[in-house]
Amino acid sequence: MSSPTPAHPLESQSPRSLCARLHLVLDCLEPVVEWAIRVCGWSAILFVFAIFLFVLREAAPVLFGKLNLVEFFTSTQWQPSSEVRPQYGTLALLVGTLCVTGLAMLLAVPLGLGAAVYISEFCTGRLKEMLKILIELLAAIPSVVWGFIGYVVLGPLIMQLTGAAVGVNLLNGGIILALMSVPVIVSVGEDALKAVPDSYREAAISLGASRWEMVHRVLFPAAKNGLLAAVLLGVGRAIGETMAVLMATGHAVQIPTSLVDPIRTLTATIAAELGETVAGETHYRVLFVIGLVLFAVAFAVNLTADLVVKGIRRDQTD
Amino acid sequence: MQVVGVFGHGPAGQRGPSGPDDMAYLVVPGLEAVEGGAAVSVFGALEEALRAILRRHPASLAEVRDASGERRIDVVYDRPGTYPQPGRKPRYRFFVGPEAIGTGGEGTELAPWWGTAEAVEQLIALDRAGRLPLAPGQRIRLSHRELFTPTAVEKWKRTKETIGKSLFLGMTLVLVLPVLSVLGYLLVKAWPALSLSFVLENPRDYMTAGGIWAPLVGTFFLVLFSLLAAAPIGIMAGIYLNEYAGENWATRIINLAVMNLAGVPSIVHALFGVGAFVLFAGMGRSLLAASCTLAVMTLPVIITSTREALASVPMAFREACWNLGATRWQTIRTIVLPNSISGILTGVILQVARAAGETAPILFTGAVFFVPIADHGWESFFPYGPGDRVMALSMHLFTLLTQVRGVDDEIVYGTAVVLIGLVLAVNSLSLGMRVYLRMRKRW
Repeated sequence: MSSPTPAHPLESQSPRSLCARLHLVLDCLEPVVEWAIRVCGWSAILFVFAIFLFVLREAAPVLFGKLNLVEFFTSTQWQPSSEVRPQYGTLALLVGTLCVTGLAMLLAVPLGLGAAVYISEFCTGRLKEMLKILIELLAAIPSVVWGFIGYVVLGPLIMQLTGAAVGVNLLNGGIILALMSVPVIVSVGEDALKAVPDSYREAAISLGASRWEMVHRVLFPAAKNGLLAAVLLGVGRAIGETMAVLMATGHAVQIPTSLVDPIRTLTATIAAELGETVAGETHYRVLFVIGLVLFAVAFAVNLTADLVVKGIRRDQTD
Repeated sequence: MQVVGVFGHGPAGQRGPSGPDDMAYLVVPGLEAVEGGAAVSVFGALEEALRAILRRHPASLAEVRDASGERRIDVVYDRPGTYPQPGRKPRYRFFVGPEAIGTGGEGTELAPWWGTAEAVEQLIALDRAGRLPLAPGQRIRLSHRELFTPTAVEKWKRTKETIGKSLFLGMTLVLVLPVLSVLGYLLVKAWPALSLSFVLENPRDYMTAGGIWAPLVGTFFLVLFSLLAAAPIGIMAGIYLNEYAGENWATRIINLAVMNLAGVPSIVHALFGVGAFVLFAGMGRSLLAASCTLAVMTLPVIITSTREALASVPMAFREACWNLGATRWQTIRTIVLPNSISGILTGVILQVARAAGETAPILFTGAVFFVPIADHGWESFFPYGPGDRVMALSMHLFTLLTQVRGVDDEIVYGTAVVLIGLVLAVNSLSLGMRVYLRMRKRW
């Protein structure tokens, strides 16, 4: 591919140094390396497909066979280990996931977007750096630790304040999930605000707008799509969260009627029950079907977020 | 001239203090009382009252102070014998600036009249033209307006801004402060357990005593193996996306796939690990299978940060290199990578932090509740082979909390604090690196 590099006339007589030889070898590797880079470049697609295929492969025998899909989505009877007639109705789990995600978003979206606006528009210098680091700290805390906090700190607190019978419940899970999905919302939201051209801000200020007016009359409409994407990514994070909801939501299969009812989510069900199943049995495969549902939901949410973000880019180039 | 909102009252043509029974009260601080309270003078007509103001304050109203300390004078139109109610909102508001050369504007806040003389003259003209109709009890307010000070609208804007700003600050603090205090609380609760022996000992007596050495080493090996798998693939994928891929649909699909890979729920990664590595590849539940699962899960972190690090190297560097005849690979190797290596390492370190904290993906692919390992000697540093099942710190915390009965609180809290400390330490390493990188940035 590359011919030996013609050396400098003065150096041509001296033997090549080790370093130069190494570079020569590396140059010769170019075709191999380029090939490897291309393959790795496509690896992300490969893995997404692989995840789908392997989960489908385990789920397929019941998905296209025994499983009654109507019952799967509409029944609240989740009795997989029943000896008489195992029932696989995920409605309660679906509702549990939706409730806890909804509650988390109710808390996280205003707070997250507010924090994004504050960090991006209202503070500068050291304070800004510090707040960004603290938000990153929120993102860094592992989910099992969040679950632990929900279990040992928030749970007793909720029992004290609301008089609920159990501390691990919908409210607990919602708060924990909100704190977990806030970093995504803040960082993506801040990026969206940063993407609004400065000329918009300057125009607003020069027309006599205060910073607050600029934020809610100019920046919000301009960054609307990016902020929406931030919310969607937060939703994606909340739906897919496993360990924290497993530990903080109480794990009771029921449709919640109040904020302090214990619930169970789709993810927590897989995490709690996969270990008890034997590979190949119906229960095991039904858990993979749930995994498939989660994969589909996460895929849809991410795809929408991506399309929404691409929407802004197109708007701005027009 | 604008008069704010005129509404009719009384018989047509009747206006202002004109009839014999009508009286205008002039409320002027410091004026001698003719009748009524201390600060009230009584005049027969609006014009008289206005001329009295001009006599007292020939230049401007800067000297005036009413009961609440504001620089303003109210002219109240009322029936005789009744005392004007204090604190009523004025029917008309006009503004008088300090006396200056020339004449001013419209008596509004933004364009005040210049000096008392002009104000009085204009008001008398307005009154004569019948444009200041007043009902009993209504008043005209003349306020002093200092130059170059915020108007009421601006003050309200500033208040709104302060409210908005403190609201957003409050939102940020609501997120940050409770978490900091909870972390502090955990540290305090864990303090009695934290010691070197806690870290270096193995769990004993069905995990109700002893330390966390076995899970700690397990986490270390999981992270190490997943890093060995994810780092090369991720970095090369980042290089492909930034250096090779063009602006086309294929690149867009790859980007979408990276984003989706990052968004796949961790438990689905676990299912994938079970399906692909444990069963299909025949690794069984082992360190290797768990590490591979973690590697797939953390791949997008490395890809994204590598791409960003490479994108921050200016295009001019590459162009200069190409112009010297270097090939693409030579350029990447000698120019792009050396200039972005710290950024890439930042991403790799973030991957380490993420992998160390994850529980769900390793739950069914290789991590187990308890593995007895050697307690001392070299054996204890390399206790796990690639095919062995391992303990992991995050899994250990979960187990202690939910599966084991009768375990001391300190041990659970201690495990949690060590896990948090580990993850945060790795994160701050990445953070410090970023700061260092920004400091020595040469372009």
